[in-house]
Amino acid sequence: MKERSAELAAFESQFKDVAGPAYGYALRLTQNRADAEDLLQTAALLAFRGYGTFIPGGNFKAWFFRILVHEYWGRHRAAQRRPSTVSFDDLPDLHIYSQASDAGLPTDGADPGALLIQKLGVDGVIEALDALPEEYRVVSTLYFMQDFTYQDIAAVLEIPIGTVRSRLHRGRKMLQRALWQAACDAGIVEPVEAGEGAT
Amino acid sequence: MRSVNRFTCEEAFRRLDDYLDRELSATEMELVREHLETCAACTREFTYEAGILHEVRRKLARVEVSPELLARIARQLEEAANEG
Repeated sequence: MKERSAELAAFESQFKDVAGPAYGYALRLTQNRADAEDLLQTAALLAFRGYGTFIPGGNFKAWFFRILVHEYWGRHRAAQRRPSTVSFDDLPDLHIYSQASDAGLPTDGADPGALLIQKLGVDGVIEALDALPEEYRVVSTLYFMQDFTYQDIAAVLEIPIGTVRSRLHRGRKMLQRALWQAACDAGIVEPVEAGEGAT
Repeated sequence: MRSVNRFTCEEAFRRLDDYLDRELSATEMELVREHLETCAACTREFTYEAGILHEVRRKLARVEVSPELLARIARQLEEAANEG
Protein backbone atom coordinates (compact mmCIF):
# COMPACT_ATOMS: atom_id res chain seq x y z
CA MET A 1 0.00 0.00 0.00
CA LYS A 2 2.83 2.32 0.98
CA GLU A 3 4.63 1.34 -2.21
CA ARG A 4 1.57 2.18 -4.31
CA SER A 5 1.34 5.63 -2.66
CA ALA A 6 4.98 6.30 -3.42
CA GLU A 7 4.41 5.22 -7.01
CA LEU A 8 1.40 7.53 -7.27
CA ALA A 9 3.41 10.45 -5.90
CA ALA A 10 6.23 9.77 -8.37
CA PHE A 11 3.79 9.47 -11.29
CA GLU A 12 1.92 12.64 -10.35
CA SER A 13 5.10 14.67 -10.04
CA GLN A 14 5.96 13.82 -13.64
CA PHE A 15 2.41 13.94 -14.97
CA LYS A 16 1.80 17.50 -13.75
CA ASP A 17 4.48 18.79 -16.14
CA VAL A 18 3.01 17.10 -19.20
CA ALA A 19 -0.72 17.48 -18.42
CA GLY A 20 -1.01 20.90 -20.10
CA PRO A 21 0.88 20.02 -23.31
CA ALA A 22 -0.90 16.66 -23.48
CA TYR A 23 -4.29 18.31 -23.12
CA GLY A 24 -3.40 20.80 -25.86
CA TYR A 25 -2.43 17.95 -28.14
CA ALA A 26 -5.55 15.95 -27.24
CA LEU A 27 -7.65 19.00 -28.05
CA ARG A 28 -6.15 19.29 -31.51
CA LEU A 29 -6.49 15.55 -32.14
CA THR A 30 -10.13 15.33 -31.08
CA GLN A 31 -11.07 18.94 -31.96
CA ASN A 32 -13.52 18.80 -29.10
CA ARG A 33 -13.11 19.77 -25.42
CA ALA A 34 -15.17 16.96 -23.92
CA ASP A 35 -13.41 14.30 -25.99
CA ALA A 36 -10.00 15.84 -25.24
CA GLU A 37 -10.69 15.78 -21.50
CA ASP A 38 -11.85 12.17 -21.70
CA LEU A 39 -8.80 11.21 -23.77
CA LEU A 40 -6.39 12.82 -21.30
CA GLN A 41 -8.16 11.24 -18.33
CA THR A 42 -8.04 7.77 -19.88
CA ALA A 43 -4.42 8.17 -20.96
CA ALA A 44 -3.45 9.25 -17.43
CA LEU A 45 -5.09 6.16 -15.95
CA LEU A 46 -3.50 3.84 -18.51
CA ALA A 47 -0.12 5.45 -17.96
CA PHE A 48 -0.37 5.11 -14.19
CA ARG A 49 -1.33 1.45 -14.50
CA GLY A 50 1.62 0.90 -16.83
CA TYR A 51 4.03 3.13 -14.91
CA GLY A 52 6.12 0.09 -14.03
CA THR A 53 7.14 -0.15 -17.70
CA PHE A 54 8.49 3.41 -17.75
CA ILE A 55 12.26 3.41 -17.45
CA PRO A 56 13.31 5.91 -14.75
CA GLY A 57 15.33 8.71 -16.28
CA GLY A 58 13.69 8.19 -19.68
CA ASN A 59 11.63 10.72 -21.59
CA PHE A 60 8.37 10.71 -19.63
CA LYS A 61 6.70 13.19 -21.96
CA ALA A 62 7.36 11.07 -25.06
CA TRP A 63 6.32 7.93 -23.14
CA PHE A 64 3.06 9.53 -22.00
CA PHE A 65 2.29 10.96 -25.43
CA ARG A 66 2.76 7.50 -26.95
CA ILE A 67 0.07 6.16 -24.62
CA LEU A 68 -2.21 9.09 -25.44
CA VAL A 69 -1.79 8.64 -29.19
CA HIS A 70 -2.40 4.88 -28.91
CA GLU A 71 -5.60 5.55 -27.04
CA TYR A 72 -6.67 8.14 -29.61
CA TRP A 73 -5.99 5.74 -32.48
CA GLY A 74 -7.84 3.00 -30.63
CA ARG A 75 -10.88 5.24 -30.72
CA HIS A 76 -10.38 6.35 -34.31
CA ARG A 77 -9.10 3.27 -36.08
CA ALA A 78 -10.92 4.09 -39.28
CA ALA A 79 -9.22 7.48 -39.54
CA GLN A 80 -5.81 5.96 -38.89
CA ARG A 81 -6.22 3.37 -41.62
CA ARG A 82 -7.77 5.70 -44.16
CA PRO A 83 -4.98 6.57 -46.61
CA SER A 84 -4.60 10.20 -47.52
CA THR A 85 -5.95 11.09 -50.94
CA VAL A 86 -3.98 14.32 -51.19
CA SER A 87 -2.02 14.81 -54.37
CA PHE A 88 1.45 16.13 -53.66
CA ASP A 89 2.08 17.21 -57.21
CA ASP A 90 0.37 20.52 -56.62
CA LEU A 91 2.03 21.33 -53.31
CA PRO A 92 4.51 24.10 -54.06
CA ASP A 93 7.51 25.04 -51.94
CA LEU A 94 7.44 28.38 -50.14
CA HIS A 95 3.76 28.83 -50.95
CA ILE A 96 3.08 31.85 -48.75
CA TYR A 97 6.35 33.50 -49.74
CA SER A 98 5.70 33.10 -53.46
CA GLN A 99 2.04 34.10 -53.21
CA ALA A 100 2.93 37.15 -51.11
CA SER A 101 5.61 38.05 -53.61
CA ASP A 102 3.19 37.67 -56.55
CA ALA A 103 0.62 39.76 -54.69
CA GLY A 104 3.19 42.53 -54.29
CA LEU A 105 3.43 42.15 -50.52
CA PRO A 106 6.80 42.71 -48.84
CA THR A 107 8.98 39.62 -48.50
CA ASP A 108 11.80 41.22 -46.61
CA GLY A 109 12.12 43.64 -43.75
CA ALA A 110 10.76 43.03 -40.26
CA ASP A 111 9.39 39.48 -40.34
CA PRO A 112 6.72 39.84 -43.07
CA GLY A 113 5.82 36.12 -42.91
CA ALA A 114 5.21 36.32 -39.18
CA LEU A 115 3.14 39.49 -39.60
CA LEU A 116 0.84 37.73 -42.02
CA ILE A 117 0.22 34.87 -39.57
CA GLN A 118 -0.30 37.36 -36.75
CA LYS A 119 -3.12 38.95 -38.70
CA LEU A 120 -4.73 35.56 -39.19
CA GLY A 121 -5.08 35.02 -35.44
CA VAL A 122 -5.14 31.88 -33.34
CA ASP A 123 -8.42 30.53 -34.72
CA GLY A 124 -7.24 30.86 -38.31
CA VAL A 125 -4.05 28.92 -37.57
CA ILE A 126 -5.92 26.21 -35.65
CA GLU A 127 -8.49 25.84 -38.44
CA ALA A 128 -5.71 25.42 -41.01
CA LEU A 129 -3.94 22.82 -38.86
CA ASP A 130 -7.16 20.94 -38.13
CA ALA A 131 -7.89 20.75 -41.85
CA LEU A 132 -4.77 18.67 -42.59
CA PRO A 133 -5.38 14.98 -43.43
CA GLU A 134 -5.14 12.79 -40.30
CA GLU A 135 -1.67 11.31 -40.84
CA TYR A 136 -0.17 14.77 -41.43
CA ARG A 137 -2.18 16.46 -38.70
CA VAL A 138 -0.98 14.01 -36.05
CA VAL A 139 2.69 14.60 -36.93
CA SER A 140 2.44 18.33 -37.64
CA THR A 141 0.55 19.07 -34.43
CA LEU A 142 3.20 17.28 -32.37
CA TYR A 143 5.82 19.28 -34.20
CA PHE A 144 4.20 22.70 -33.90
CA MET A 145 2.77 22.39 -30.39
CA GLN A 146 5.40 20.42 -28.54
CA ASP A 147 9.09 20.82 -28.11
CA PHE A 148 9.80 17.44 -29.72
CA THR A 149 12.68 16.54 -32.01
CA TYR A 150 12.05 14.38 -35.08
CA GLN A 151 13.43 11.47 -33.02
CA ASP A 152 10.93 12.14 -30.21
CA ILE A 153 8.05 12.29 -32.70
CA ALA A 154 9.20 9.02 -34.27
CA ALA A 155 9.25 7.43 -30.81
CA VAL A 156 5.80 8.75 -29.87
CA LEU A 157 4.18 7.61 -33.09
CA GLU A 158 6.34 4.50 -33.49
CA ILE A 159 7.19 5.29 -37.09
CA PRO A 160 10.60 5.66 -38.78
CA ILE A 161 12.28 9.05 -38.52
CA GLY A 162 12.29 9.27 -42.33
CA THR A 163 8.50 9.04 -42.29
CA VAL A 164 8.35 11.83 -39.70
CA ARG A 165 10.57 13.98 -41.91
CA SER A 166 8.56 13.44 -45.09
CA ARG A 167 5.18 13.89 -43.38
CA LEU A 168 6.38 17.07 -41.73
CA HIS A 169 7.73 18.37 -44.99
CA ARG A 170 4.43 17.76 -46.77
CA GLY A 171 2.39 18.80 -43.75
CA ARG A 172 4.16 22.16 -43.69
CA LYS A 173 3.45 22.67 -47.37
CA MET A 174 -0.23 21.81 -46.94
CA LEU A 175 -0.42 24.06 -43.91
CA GLN A 176 1.06 26.98 -45.84
CA ARG A 177 -1.50 26.54 -48.59
CA ALA A 178 -4.32 26.40 -46.02
CA LEU A 179 -2.98 29.46 -44.18
CA TRP A 180 -2.75 31.49 -47.37
CA GLN A 181 -6.28 30.45 -48.33
CA ALA A 182 -7.51 31.42 -44.87
CA ALA A 183 -5.81 34.81 -45.21
CA CYS A 184 -7.54 35.28 -48.59
CA ASP A 185 -10.91 34.22 -47.17
CA ALA A 186 -10.52 36.62 -44.26
CA GLY A 187 -9.68 39.48 -46.65
CA ILE A 188 -6.21 39.88 -45.14
CA VAL A 189 -4.63 39.43 -48.56
CA GLU A 190 -5.89 39.57 -52.12
CA PRO A 191 -5.87 36.18 -53.84
CA VAL A 192 -3.43 35.94 -56.72
CA GLU A 193 -5.22 35.26 -60.00
CA ALA A 194 -4.20 32.08 -61.82
CA GLY A 195 -1.60 32.88 -64.45
CA GLU A 196 -0.26 35.83 -62.53
CA GLY A 197 2.85 33.90 -61.67
CA ALA A 198 1.39 31.76 -58.90
CA THR A 199 3.48 28.65 -58.31
CA MET B 1 38.87 28.79 -42.33
CA ARG B 2 36.11 28.35 -44.88
CA SER B 3 34.98 25.03 -46.22
CA VAL B 4 36.14 23.98 -49.65
CA ASN B 5 32.75 22.39 -50.35
CA ARG B 6 29.97 24.89 -50.63
CA PHE B 7 26.26 24.43 -51.07
CA THR B 8 24.50 25.77 -54.12
CA CYS B 9 21.13 27.50 -53.69
CA GLU B 10 19.41 24.24 -54.63
CA GLU B 11 21.40 22.21 -52.12
CA ALA B 12 20.76 24.74 -49.38
CA PHE B 13 17.06 24.96 -50.23
CA ARG B 14 16.69 21.17 -50.10
CA ARG B 15 17.78 21.39 -46.47
CA LEU B 16 15.60 24.35 -45.51
CA ASP B 17 13.21 22.48 -43.16
CA ASP B 18 15.95 20.45 -41.49
CA TYR B 19 18.09 23.55 -41.10
CA LEU B 20 15.32 25.53 -39.43
CA ASP B 21 14.61 22.56 -37.16
CA ARG B 22 18.33 22.07 -36.39
CA GLU B 23 18.09 18.49 -37.59
CA LEU B 24 21.15 18.61 -39.86
CA SER B 25 24.61 17.40 -38.94
CA ALA B 26 26.98 20.07 -37.62
CA THR B 27 28.83 20.06 -40.95
CA GLU B 28 25.67 20.55 -42.98
CA MET B 29 24.42 23.27 -40.63
CA GLU B 30 27.68 25.08 -41.20
CA LEU B 31 27.51 24.67 -44.97
CA VAL B 32 23.98 26.07 -45.08
CA ARG B 33 25.04 28.94 -42.81
CA GLU B 34 27.97 29.71 -45.08
CA HIS B 35 25.67 29.73 -48.10
CA LEU B 36 23.24 32.09 -46.40
CA GLU B 37 26.06 34.48 -45.56
CA THR B 38 26.67 35.06 -49.23
CA CYS B 39 23.23 34.61 -50.81
CA ALA B 40 20.69 37.35 -50.15
CA ALA B 41 17.88 35.59 -52.06
CA CYS B 42 18.15 32.38 -50.00
CA THR B 43 18.52 34.38 -46.79
CA ARG B 44 15.27 36.21 -47.59
CA GLU B 45 13.43 32.91 -48.19
CA PHE B 46 14.87 31.19 -45.11
CA THR B 47 14.08 34.20 -42.90
CA TYR B 48 10.53 34.39 -44.24
CA GLU B 49 9.97 30.67 -43.56
CA ALA B 50 11.47 30.94 -40.09
CA GLY B 51 9.12 33.85 -39.33
CA ILE B 52 6.06 31.82 -40.35
CA LEU B 53 7.22 28.81 -38.36
CA HIS B 54 7.88 30.85 -35.25
CA GLU B 55 4.54 32.63 -35.42
CA VAL B 56 2.51 29.45 -36.02
CA ARG B 57 4.22 27.91 -32.98
CA ARG B 58 3.48 31.01 -30.91
CA LYS B 59 -0.18 30.91 -31.92
CA LEU B 60 -0.42 27.27 -30.84
CA ALA B 61 1.32 27.88 -27.55
CA ARG B 62 0.32 26.18 -24.35
CA VAL B 63 -3.34 25.44 -23.70
CA GLU B 64 -4.35 25.61 -20.06
CA VAL B 65 -5.87 22.49 -18.58
CA SER B 66 -8.71 23.26 -16.17
CA PRO B 67 -8.17 22.69 -12.42
CA GLU B 68 -11.43 20.67 -12.41
CA LEU B 69 -10.04 18.21 -14.93
CA LEU B 70 -6.78 17.89 -13.02
CA ALA B 71 -8.72 17.25 -9.82
CA ARG B 72 -10.85 14.62 -11.57
CA ILE B 73 -7.72 12.87 -12.84
CA ALA B 74 -6.07 13.03 -9.40
CA ARG B 75 -9.15 11.41 -7.81
CA GLN B 76 -9.17 8.72 -10.47
CA LEU B 77 -5.49 7.95 -9.96
CA GLU B 78 -5.94 7.76 -6.24
CA GLU B 79 -8.77 5.28 -6.67
CA ALA B 80 -6.59 3.21 -8.97
CA ALA B 81 -3.76 3.30 -6.44
CA ASN B 82 -6.10 2.17 -3.67
CA GLU B 83 -7.43 -0.67 -5.82
CA GLY B 84 -3.96 -1.81 -6.76
